[in-house]
Amino acid sequence: MAAATSLGYQVAAEAAELRKSFEVEKKESKVQLDIENSEVVTNQLGRDQHITVTRDGVTITFSRDVRGRASLCVTGEGRTNDELRALGEEMSQAVVQQYVYQKLMGEMRSRGFNVIEEELSEDRSIRLKVRHWEN
Amino acid sequence: MPEREFDITIGKNGSVELHVKGYKGKGCMEAMKMFQQIVGELKSEQKTNEFYEPEEQVRFNIDQRH
Repeated sequence: MAAATSLGYQVAAEAAELRKSFEVEKKESKVQLDIENSEVVTNQLGRDQHITVTRDGVTITFSRDVRGRASLCVTGEGRTNDELRALGEEMSQAVVQQYVYQKLMGEMRSRGFNVIEEELSEDRSIRLKVRHWEN
Repeated sequence: MPEREFDITIGKNGSVELHVKGYKGKGCMEAMKMFQQIVGELKSEQKTNEFYEPEEQVRFNIDQRH
């Protein structure tokens, strides 16, 4: 859930049995989005499991179906569908970015690369400077 | 033993930009292949002015495909 916390969301629930407590109220808008490449990106999430995060009245629930396909459900009172879709896409991208970051860092460490600088830019890109000595 | 330096930018959408320093000749291509193995196939490649100098610098964009 590093992607969610990096965007300021708090984890509200992680258990599938809590799903009913986050059912959408009538006044809330709701948008459903698929996560690209979700079969490999969302290995933190078990099949038929849900994780819910919240920020500023917006609730995003990650879920995986029995085939492993992941999706986001974004709800928020007083928000338009376009706003919710934008928030969901922002979260979806953050999930992919965190996946790439974790994969790169793990592979580079295993190959003897040293990370000498790391910063998060204002545009939310992650900048790394790494060094490697070769034979 | 030469030192290699890499500037890596992971875009907010997960795309990866790689700036390679410290390679001569085709050595940088080996580095590019290694990063392709990690994050995905090459999307675009841009040789900087330094590419034509004895020590090359090459910029790559790699798409996340895994």
